[in-house]
Amino acid sequence: MECTTCLPTPGRIDRPHTFFAHQMGNCATCGAAIEGRVVLRDAGVVMLKHCLTCGPSEETLSDDATAWVADFLARGDVPDDLPGDHLFKQTTSTCPTCLALTPADVVLRGGKVYFKKSCAACGPSEALVSENARYYVRAYAFARAGTEPLKFAAPVEHGCPTDCGTCGDHEQHTCLPIVEVTDHCNLECPICIVNNQYANHIEPETFAKIVDTMIANEGQCESIALSGGEPTSHPRILDLIDIANRDQIGRVVVITNGLRLGRDRAFAAALKARGAYVALQLDGFTADTHEKIRGRDLCAEKDAALRVLKELQIPTQLIFVAARGVNEHQIGRVVDLLLSEDHILSLSFQPAAFTGFGGGTFAHDPMDRLTIPGVIQAVEEQTAGRLKMSDFSPLPCSHPQCVSLTYLLRLPDGQHLPFARFVDFTKHGSLLRSSATLGASPEIHDTLHEVIHDVFARQDEIPHGPEILKALRRSLDVMFPDRALGNKEAVRIGEQQAKSIFLHHYMDRHDFDLERLRKCCHHYPQVDGRIMPACGFNMFHRGAAKGPDTPVATWGKRPWTPASPDAPVRLTVVG
Amino acid sequence: MGLLLEGRAALVTGATRGLGRAIARTLAREGADVAFNYTRSDDEAAALVEEIRGHGRRALPFKVSVLDKPAVLKMVQEIDKSWGQIDVLVNNAGVGQVVPLALMEEEDWDRMMSVNVKGAFLMSQAVLRPMIRARRGRIVNISSLAGVKMMQAPVHYSAAKAALRGFTEALAKEVGRYGITVNCLAPGILEEGVSVNLPPPKLDEYLRNCALGRVGTFAEIAEVVAFVAADRNSYMNGATVVLDGAV
Repeated sequence: MECTTCLPTPGRIDRPHTFFAHQMGNCATCGAAIEGRVVLRDAGVVMLKHCLTCGPSEETLSDDATAWVADFLARGDVPDDLPGDHLFKQTTSTCPTCLALTPADVVLRGGKVYFKKSCAACGPSEALVSENARYYVRAYAFARAGTEPLKFAAPVEHGCPTDCGTCGDHEQHTCLPIVEVTDHCNLECPICIVNNQYANHIEPETFAKIVDTMIANEGQCESIALSGGEPTSHPRILDLIDIANRDQIGRVVVITNGLRLGRDRAFAAALKARGAYVALQLDGFTADTHEKIRGRDLCAEKDAALRVLKELQIPTQLIFVAARGVNEHQIGRVVDLLLSEDHILSLSFQPAAFTGFGGGTFAHDPMDRLTIPGVIQAVEEQTAGRLKMSDFSPLPCSHPQCVSLTYLLRLPDGQHLPFARFVDFTKHGSLLRSSATLGASPEIHDTLHEVIHDVFARQDEIPHGPEILKALRRSLDVMFPDRALGNKEAVRIGEQQAKSIFLHHYMDRHDFDLERLRKCCHHYPQVDGRIMPACGFNMFHRGAAKGPDTPVATWGKRPWTPASPDAPVRLTVVG
Repeated sequence: MGLLLEGRAALVTGATRGLGRAIARTLAREGADVAFNYTRSDDEAAALVEEIRGHGRRALPFKVSVLDKPAVLKMVQEIDKSWGQIDVLVNNAGVGQVVPLALMEEEDWDRMMSVNVKGAFLMSQAVLRPMIRARRGRIVNISSLAGVKMMQAPVHYSAAKAALRGFTEALAKEVGRYGITVNCLAPGILEEGVSVNLPPPKLDEYLRNCALGRVGTFAEIAEVVAFVAADRNSYMNGATVVLDGAV
């Protein structure tokens, strides 16, 4: 259950520091106000600055990282019932009206977290960022050094986000490349976060170049995702899967609404024959939720897709976009589905992001929306406590505010037990570097041994202690046999040992946080060779941050546009 | 400096006779409460209890085979419950048998490996639970010179004692992160050990090749066990200490 792409592949190394947060500062030379990267390095805390006039510089903030982090976290120790706003930190967000990059105060108010912004052109605005201030503040304790790709796709010239992507100042490699292979679709989803033009299918040769680039940049990838549009609309989708089926790529995932799967069994069988994985959008189980999220009643189509996936035992991930007041009451049901079917390996909740052709204009209240802790709370309430808030942890692979997750160990009797019930993630953080599944890596091997010893020693105190040990023994036997495992085989074996539930909150114009973008690990590789962090691309390049026809930043570059060395690249106001 | 094992709790296997008894006695003298197992004489066990108590220490005897896993687990749980800790395990229990390979029965081999190796495995696995919880511990395995040097010794005995050395090294690597050390002692011929059964020419040959010109004593080995098991011995891990007077 480890992100094999986050592990040191030959030649790939961890960053020399742990990226922690953004903080406002001044250039030591010209005094200009700039936003710096606060990193933990050795035992100290350093702010890394990039002044557009004077270039890079550093400022030591503390010689005692442990004490500095403790003080930082203590700023968030505010009782829920204490009146007023309490400044926790500052960052850079966007004006929801003009999309300009805007300083934002991160404030705690009534147990929740809000951005307070003031755009010089449009005036003040506020947005809810987290429904649980404690969860939000605690997430910073999970900060962990990222991993460098073998090479970056862009030089550092003008700073984040202008240099995307990704530049040498980006703090995480590409854990998950999401390739938009078409901008055709067979639905018009009210929550769509892209901006389909019905004009492009990627050429196989171009796609092959992207795959080559990813392998050159990363060495190996745990997964590569084919998205769109609706990727099954691509007339040569199977050829694309064949191209991506390389030894260096653990799994090829097709992110789909499932319509074609349900009506075209031969196509589903072809996916199965190629060893492809399916990430099925499944946002509900009733006509009304489908209509609100996807534009029409899809109950029959989704059932048909689920049937063929089960019949063919195609490894499946479910994607549930959760929106306040729309489908949050069906969260428990999708968890039940995950736990009831062996071929469903993971579940990804995505609290709705209000960006894109549909999402940009989707009815919403930026002060009352679902965020990660809200979805987790719903999971707890709707699974009768089988899963609890405490079973979930922020994922330090990405920025810890972007993704949370839980792993569920399959016990010998077929039940699933959250890892957090027997793993102390403050000690065994390497298990959280991951994406979808445990990987057979040396680091995971060592960590599993420590976990096993911990459970072994406390087996009389931990519920299901002996069963956990049997399950871990099974996992060790198959994940670390006395023979070498290939990347694909290791991924496949690992994913059978535990299921996972991820919560990934993509950003929009309300809650955009440049600090989070800095460590984004879900990237859109572009036809021009750039590797674009997903939310940066959605905000500044796609041209749909507020719905269709949103102006693109002057330095922005739309999808499907070829490389142009003369394109202007400079930080400026968007809109 | 004070006693080596003041406030510690030790478990010694095969402790009612020979080297085991000397070890139990010495650990008690150095301040440890001593639990032990035995399989034969209740009288010898009672005498050892009195001896341990004579040092002002607590004693817990268990008539349990090291090959009886449920009984071993229960024994360890009782010690842990009674004393709240198990700091030291000495895997001393073992058997010897003089028989050439040509006459060795499969049962001989199995018995040798079981008592000398499997017993250490079961005992160590059992005590590791409280030791890992406590993030401390000392495991001392009693091997033999026959397990580390080429000697005229029975094949199964040498193999079993050599296995203990490998067991020691691997376990030391596995549990060192919890502050638990695992070491091994490899005594040469001792005054009342297998030397009793040695033909005089072989004993003479040993003595001729031993720099000290004599066999060792149980007490000498027990003194080293006490030190190896002590907190003062803090950086020795995965080691095999040969105690043979320089053969």
